[in-house]
Amino acid sequence: MRSLILRMFLATASGAWLLLCAGPAGAQPAQATGCETCHRNEASESLSAPARDFALADVHRDRGFTCVNCHGGDPNATDKAAAKAPATGFRGKPSGQAVIAVCSNCHSDAALMRKYAPRQRVDQAAEYATSVHGQQLAKGDTKVATCVSCHGAHGVRLVSDAQSPVYPLNVATTCTKCHGDAEHMKGYTLNGGPLPTDQGEKYAKSVHHAAMVERSDLSAPTCNDCHGNHGAAPPGVDAIANVCGTCHTVFATKFALSTHAAIFERGCVECHNNHDILEPTDAMVGTDEKALCSTCHSEGDNGHKAAMAMRAGIEKLKAAISHSEEQVAAVENAGIEMGDEALTVREAANHLTVARTELHAFDPAAVQAVLDEGLGLTTKVDEAAAAAQSELSFRRTGLAISLAAILLVVVALQLKIRTLKPHA
Amino acid sequence: MTQQLIAWLDERLDLTAIRHFVEEKSVPVHRHSVWYYMGGITLFLVGVQVATGILLLLYYRPSAGEAYESVKFIVSQVEFGWLIRNLHSWSANLLIFMAFVHLFSTLFLRSYRRPRELTWVTGVLLLFIMMGFGFSGYLLPWNELAFFATKVGTGIAGAVPFVGDFLVRFLRGGDEVTGATLTRFYGLHVAILPAMTTVVLGMHLLFIQRQGMSVPPSVEAREKAGAKTPQIPFFPHYVLHDVMWWYVALAVLAALALFLPWELGTKADAFAPVPAGIRPEWYFLAMFQVLKLLPAHILGIEGEVLGVLGFGLAALVLLFLPFLDRGAAEGRSSKLVTIGGILALAYMVVFTIYGYLAA
Amino acid sequence: MSASDRPSGPGTIQRRSFLDIVLGLGFVSTAASFLYPLWRYLNPPATVEAATNSVIAGKAAEFRPNSGAIVKFGSKPAILIRMPDGQFRAYSAICTHLDCTVQYKGDTSQIWCACHNGLYDLAGNNVSGPPPRPLDAFAVNLRGEPGQEEVVISRT
Repeated sequence: MRSLILRMFLATASGAWLLLCAGPAGAQPAQATGCETCHRNEASESLSAPARDFALADVHRDRGFTCVNCHGGDPNATDKAAAKAPATGFRGKPSGQAVIAVCSNCHSDAALMRKYAPRQRVDQAAEYATSVHGQQLAKGDTKVATCVSCHGAHGVRLVSDAQSPVYPLNVATTCTKCHGDAEHMKGYTLNGGPLPTDQGEKYAKSVHHAAMVERSDLSAPTCNDCHGNHGAAPPGVDAIANVCGTCHTVFATKFALSTHAAIFERGCVECHNNHDILEPTDAMVGTDEKALCSTCHSEGDNGHKAAMAMRAGIEKLKAAISHSEEQVAAVENAGIEMGDEALTVREAANHLTVARTELHAFDPAAVQAVLDEGLGLTTKVDEAAAAAQSELSFRRTGLAISLAAILLVVVALQLKIRTLKPHA
Repeated sequence: MTQQLIAWLDERLDLTAIRHFVEEKSVPVHRHSVWYYMGGITLFLVGVQVATGILLLLYYRPSAGEAYESVKFIVSQVEFGWLIRNLHSWSANLLIFMAFVHLFSTLFLRSYRRPRELTWVTGVLLLFIMMGFGFSGYLLPWNELAFFATKVGTGIAGAVPFVGDFLVRFLRGGDEVTGATLTRFYGLHVAILPAMTTVVLGMHLLFIQRQGMSVPPSVEAREKAGAKTPQIPFFPHYVLHDVMWWYVALAVLAALALFLPWELGTKADAFAPVPAGIRPEWYFLAMFQVLKLLPAHILGIEGEVLGVLGFGLAALVLLFLPFLDRGAAEGRSSKLVTIGGILALAYMVVFTIYGYLAA
Repeated sequence: MSASDRPSGPGTIQRRSFLDIVLGLGFVSTAASFLYPLWRYLNPPATVEAATNSVIAGKAAEFRPNSGAIVKFGSKPAILIRMPDGQFRAYSAICTHLDCTVQYKGDTSQIWCACHNGLYDLAGNNVSGPPPRPLDAFAVNLRGEPGQEEVVISRT
């Protein structure tokens, strides 16, 4: 009896020590503990899988952490009851708020985290509390995501590990596991209606997805770049322009100057959508049916006139550029070097791009100023092409003269043959 | 002055044989004798090709990285480079055209009949070599259209039974059209084919000089009946005529180079999508169009295989026509050859135009 | 009636010799029209090589430290930068975002694209704004007598 009490005391002490000091000093991978010895052989998948996954690849294990750091218990105990006795601090499988508590035990401890990942932030738990997930959890909703929903529990990998569920390429899949599941999302609302579950599908059509997946540009935005990760929530209506502006700075600055900045409730989203952000086209501006301006503006108002003017100006420069390109190609094909002019045409195309940017201030005069510069360049190119054409006609004259000499010889030969005596 | 020079040479080299040949050679004159000049024009264009081809070699670089740029360089930076390249391209096309005219004229006039069978055979071989020149030369600027046309063209060789796969690999210098194909085609275009041409063309010309000009069967029949065919001396009469025709060809070439500059297009990119309007050079178009139209399977055999076998058979018939049409030597002009020739001509014209309109 | 039937009077001789002169002139002038382009063609052109692999940007002395210049490399622009310490660097001047031409920004010693405010550092790396990847780098070599060096930009 005494020995049992003593053993319990020792186990409690050691367990508490482990939990409090949270981890070994040296960052050596942890050896298999007593927990794993039994759990590996459990018939039930849910009991054996954690031990297996944890042993396979886990960032915590690599740094010397073991089961007890999160679960408590006594790994040295030889029987189950002793290993999980209350005095060992055993807490079983944490869920809900307990998950946050277990993770933040270390991850919110700046002094501790400095030893392992000095650059890593330690405010995830605080951020989480501000997220929709955290707020719902606080209200007692246990369906919401906690740390383990996104990062995994056993077999946690670094964010920079391509196999991690929160690696940029995998984020959309991870989020849509819940957000794309209509059954799971039942009961949640947004602006009075049911919360949509088509964000993943819409995102898959967007330019951002194309940049991320097709061009492997990991800096392209995925879910968390606009919604935040630990503090995930839809950006507030007034924040949209700021959120987009973190990358699209020039557009945000121009847009902030425009009259629309005060009128567009949802900022950029009014024209460009939120999840299904498609490749913008010139057709979005203008007054025809396809154009977006005509949803609000109608014939006669200033916006209508401005839209018409900006679109017409852009189309004019586009036409001028393609005309100049044709001219240059025609002349080059005839054998006159037009490298400088080709560069100037590129420069004009730059102006077209700048004009499309400028357009976001919705000031026709500013757009026209840029377009005019571009048109000036194409005019120069066209002049050079015309000069080259006259050089070509000079060549033609030269060749025509030699052609005349050739024909003269032909005629003279014909006459000469007639004067020859036939064969005897 | 010229006389003195000849005398000076004669004294040292004894030009009696040549003088005799020049003095005594004569060419018959009749209503079909205009066709005699077609071979001469073709020969002249071969000369133009050799001259302009050598000039292009001075600046051309045969590698996938530089071929297109070097042709662009020739056309835009080298003085009169545009002229040389245009002449080479146009002359190549004119050459093939004249070779066909020459072929059909000798076919319809039965000039291949005994004893000129070998002249015909070497002539047909020369036509095949010229088509090889055209096919290999088309790729050398390494532009998009030529790249994909070569891909399709060499792919057709894959339809040859048994050795098809080997042939494709052999032609391309690998499994795909790459820089290796370009180097291979370049070697073919500037070394192998010219060497073959030198030999076969030499034989062709030698045979003609040994045998003299053939007269059509109708004229021959009249001669047998006792009529005398008027002759003109080879020198200077016929030579002057020849020179005149060469000048006419030159005028046509200059005018084409002047008014219809040859396109260079955009640089080949193996990973670009296949551009619209891919087609081979016009002299392959009739064949290409038939292969495209053939159904996937005819009587259980792949359509393309059958097509390739058909063209192979046609080539053999063409090559050995003098030995198949034995009656021609006895003055019996076979209706079959005439009808076959007309059909072949009609097929080429119709399908070439059709190929253009369809592309 | 053929020429031989006619008595060869003085008129015929004159016509013949006139014809010979015309013919001679024709041959000479056509020969000249073949030989002239031939001669010009054989003369090495001003730029001796297709600008596929390298291009001469100019004399080194023409470029001030902490400045940049756009140089034509084939049919595309390249940017030649003389860094504040006098070293040269060259990159493709085509912004990796939307193909605009980039420029050198002397005040921050960065490469800047005016279209969408993309910034690259002097190693060509994209450091801010929309550019998804670094600028393609070219090699820069100096060639010639000291003080008279030419700057040669070439593909690496």
